[in-house]
Amino acid sequence: MSTSKPAGLHRRRLIGAGTAAAITGFPNIGFTQARQPIKIGVPTILSGRVAQLGISSRNAMQIEVDAFNASGGLDGRPIELIVRDSRGVPAEAARLAREMISSDAVEFLFDAEPSSGGFAIHEVVRETGTVTLHINSETSSLTADPRQRFWNAFRVARQGIHDSIAGGYYAASVARSRNLRRWMTISPDYAYGRDTTAEFVEFARGFNADIQITGETWPRLFQADYTENITRLNQGRPQAVYSCLWAGDLVTFVEQASIFGLFAQSQLFAVNMADYTTLQQVRNLPRGVHSGNRYLRNFPPVPGNLAFATEYNRRFNTFPTNWSWQSATAVRLLTTALRQVGGTNPREVAAKLKGMTIESPFGAEGTVTMRAEDQTLVDYAIGWGTTISADPFVENMQKADWATIRRLEAEWKRGKGWG
Amino acid sequence: MELTELAECVSSMSCVVTQLAAGLTIGMLLFLVASGLTLIFGVLGLVNFAHGSLYMMGAYFALAAYGPTGSFAIAVLAGTLGAALLGLFFERFLLSRIYGQDVLMQLLVCYAIILILDDVVKIIWGADFRNMGVPPAFLHPPFIIGGGVVPYFYAILFGITALIAVALSYGMSRTRFGRIVRAAAVNPGMVGALGINTTVVYAAVFAIGAGLAGAAGALSAPIRSVVPGAGVSILIESFIVTVIGGMGSIGGALAASLILGLTRSFGSIGFPLFVEGAMFVIMALVLILRPSGLGGRRG
Amino acid sequence: MGFGRDSAIALAVLLVFILLEFTGLRSAGLVDFAIRFATFGLLALSLNLLIGSAGLVSFGHAAYFGMGAYSFGLLMQTGAWSVPAAIMAAVAMTALLALIIGALCVRLSEIYFAFLTLAFQMLLHSLILSWIGLTGGDQGLMGGIPKPPFLGVDLARQDHLAAFSLFCLVASAVALRQILRSPFGAALRMLRDNPDRAAFLGLSVFRYRLAAFVIAGSFAGLAGVLMSLYVSGAFPSFAFWTTSGEAIFMIMLGGVSVFLGPLVGAAIFLMLNDWITAVTEHHGLFLGIILLIIVLGLRKGLLDFAFEHWRARKGSQP
Repeated sequence: MSTSKPAGLHRRRLIGAGTAAAITGFPNIGFTQARQPIKIGVPTILSGRVAQLGISSRNAMQIEVDAFNASGGLDGRPIELIVRDSRGVPAEAARLAREMISSDAVEFLFDAEPSSGGFAIHEVVRETGTVTLHINSETSSLTADPRQRFWNAFRVARQGIHDSIAGGYYAASVARSRNLRRWMTISPDYAYGRDTTAEFVEFARGFNADIQITGETWPRLFQADYTENITRLNQGRPQAVYSCLWAGDLVTFVEQASIFGLFAQSQLFAVNMADYTTLQQVRNLPRGVHSGNRYLRNFPPVPGNLAFATEYNRRFNTFPTNWSWQSATAVRLLTTALRQVGGTNPREVAAKLKGMTIESPFGAEGTVTMRAEDQTLVDYAIGWGTTISADPFVENMQKADWATIRRLEAEWKRGKGWG
Repeated sequence: MELTELAECVSSMSCVVTQLAAGLTIGMLLFLVASGLTLIFGVLGLVNFAHGSLYMMGAYFALAAYGPTGSFAIAVLAGTLGAALLGLFFERFLLSRIYGQDVLMQLLVCYAIILILDDVVKIIWGADFRNMGVPPAFLHPPFIIGGGVVPYFYAILFGITALIAVALSYGMSRTRFGRIVRAAAVNPGMVGALGINTTVVYAAVFAIGAGLAGAAGALSAPIRSVVPGAGVSILIESFIVTVIGGMGSIGGALAASLILGLTRSFGSIGFPLFVEGAMFVIMALVLILRPSGLGGRRG
Repeated sequence: MGFGRDSAIALAVLLVFILLEFTGLRSAGLVDFAIRFATFGLLALSLNLLIGSAGLVSFGHAAYFGMGAYSFGLLMQTGAWSVPAAIMAAVAMTALLALIIGALCVRLSEIYFAFLTLAFQMLLHSLILSWIGLTGGDQGLMGGIPKPPFLGVDLARQDHLAAFSLFCLVASAVALRQILRSPFGAALRMLRDNPDRAAFLGLSVFRYRLAAFVIAGSFAGLAGVLMSLYVSGAFPSFAFWTTSGEAIFMIMLGGVSVFLGPLVGAAIFLMLNDWITAVTEHHGLFLGIILLIIVLGLRKGLLDFAFEHWRARKGSQP
């Protein structure tokens, strides 16, 4: 049941809010008004192939929201999440967003859709002026393209261009030290796969001109079998292979490529490998796959990060995903802004969010910032390392440097005419 | 188009071996699914749009059996029998009620089954994808033949699928049951008049077809991720196979599956961006030149 | 009788709808529902020309829905087209696609037909996903669709869009009704019920079916245009098989033999969908079970059922 939490939990929370109010001595009349919940709409995917996206987003939000409510909410007003399933259909995501705004009277939206649904919701809230935090869309143009920007939309997610710069830098240095010149790519044939791969190649070659792309193969998104792509890679005999396949597709590719012996001859750079749901599913994880961090409880190695993973594991009996830390960060940003504003006025909350920096266990240096210029999250931890077959799964993590990322991102934007 | 690469590949022993072995193995897995589809159509006159879901269920049953036992043989058996029993259940309680009605009814019942099964696996096994992994017993280095790479597990898969294909063809052509099934496909009324219970024949054929899909799902579980909704893409490919091979023709399905497997593996070298398109082109050509398919009966 | 009466009824219905839009009853939810109802109602209505009247069960109707949406969106994004011109061009392009696919499919027996249409739809879907330069791939057409006002109609306003969508639906319904009443419609029904006899009478099965296929595809294209206006974009899922499945579901809910059945089905389906997503995440399980109950229990659509029941009670001749 996505929309209503168990009645017991709900009651306990209200009692909690009530006691807090009683202690601080609010008058009774104010109390009824004050505990009116702040409703936040969450359109996402809860069914089908990528249901994990919505489920792990919702789980993380619930942890953070429960903590916020337990600590008294916004002057006694708890947050109530209204989570609904768009089944990955963008038109349905747009409808849900509209319906939540008009019928459920939500005051804010956490858009936990992937890029496709995210862009659909973006158009809706451009019209309605609802303060919206995009949580799962990594497509750079959502905030990098000035035409997509307006006052009430924010992105609390990693971004393709940041990952590509960090990955390109890391790959270039590994390529230099191991003399890897001949590269091939295998990425899913859709916008994310094409863009991310092109950007990675651009930056890797920018840092190391010796890198040559000798071939590429583009399986369909959610292709059942990668045999034909793997034999093609085998024929090309590359020294290194880059892939931005993700989740089940990446696992299938790795399992099949392993038994073809591909990793005996080629180094694999898989940006999306280091996520627990992926790592734990690969049965025959080849040693030394290079991967970017999606979510790792020991990167950044700070107590807050480990505590988050432990709490998540205790409540849901599994580990957080990349989507989880993004969702948790969204809740923390919004609740901080709400408390600083002392109310839910959308203009004031949006103004507060713009440029806001909060402490975060997911930050590269202990904080993350909602950059004012393009209203997107920066300074979150990005790193690359190599995989091992057991916990902690990834070792030798190298932290990306945000000064470099910012500099190259600005250049890239200028090149696109978005500067 | 990278036809020079294709030419280079065809003239190199190592490339031919690798692509041939991969193409044939993928083709044989496809054949298992498609042969079930075509068998059911041939005898029951029913297009089982939910066939891909039975493939998915086979994979999930295999996964469930492999966990506690650790035996791949038991996993494959569980996938096959589980899908067969599930198919039997659907045939008896749902599909048998709409025999003789138009395609719309078949389509809707199957659509409902797809919707329900995708949610049921999500409730039982979780929304996330699962992966069985290649069983340790098959984790050997690949065979190197003439410089070409043939993974050990693919060789095993090819062997098992080929055995099943032989058993199926023997069963259909040499056994009494096979003769009844073939007769029922041509003239069910006559078979009924001879005192053979066609209800039982239909149920058995549907169960066998479902079992074949389940077997394919179970066999490929170690190398393909198992996920709700996994049945759709395999369903489309099986349809293409049935159209090319001729609906109801098992021999045609075999030929078409291998053609598609080889198109995929050699196409990924010669025309990597048009592999999907090529399968549709082959299908369109067959439909225009020989509408009843490669192995189909004329008229 | 005939055209005059249909038009009068249609006009009255449209007026009531539009009055509802502009009176105190108006709410954002109702306006949104009106647009979605017009869109999916038109899609289901056009598909029923094939399923109900021509007996051709297409499982690939979403291809034309998607084609209409993408053609319209792409034309509008060039900035050189007015809304009415782009709609006509988008419908024409959809008709052309339907002509090509139809020419390959309509010769086939019903089962081949069903999944060949399905296969071509999947081909179009994967083409949309791969041709990122044109279509934006899985992210769909980005940046919104400009909607310059024409003749005082500003489609960027939801209430105008709702009235416009309803107008398109009603006008299309009248047109489709006329087509079915014409000798062409009679020929289609004869082809459905007795193709041999029709062929004996010298009717070209191929041409009639192809014409029906193209007409149905064109109206689905118009529905796609409305959809792209509603979400201000176009997405690959418009051309995915699930959209076709839902359209068939709507027809089945409402009924194939009554002209307005698909519209009733679309309304029920949308309400059902909205209600189910609000109460559960096991959407497929619920819809699947409801579908099974209707198909195996009633064995026909709700309006079919009601109509036959009513006729049986009246005891009149068929």
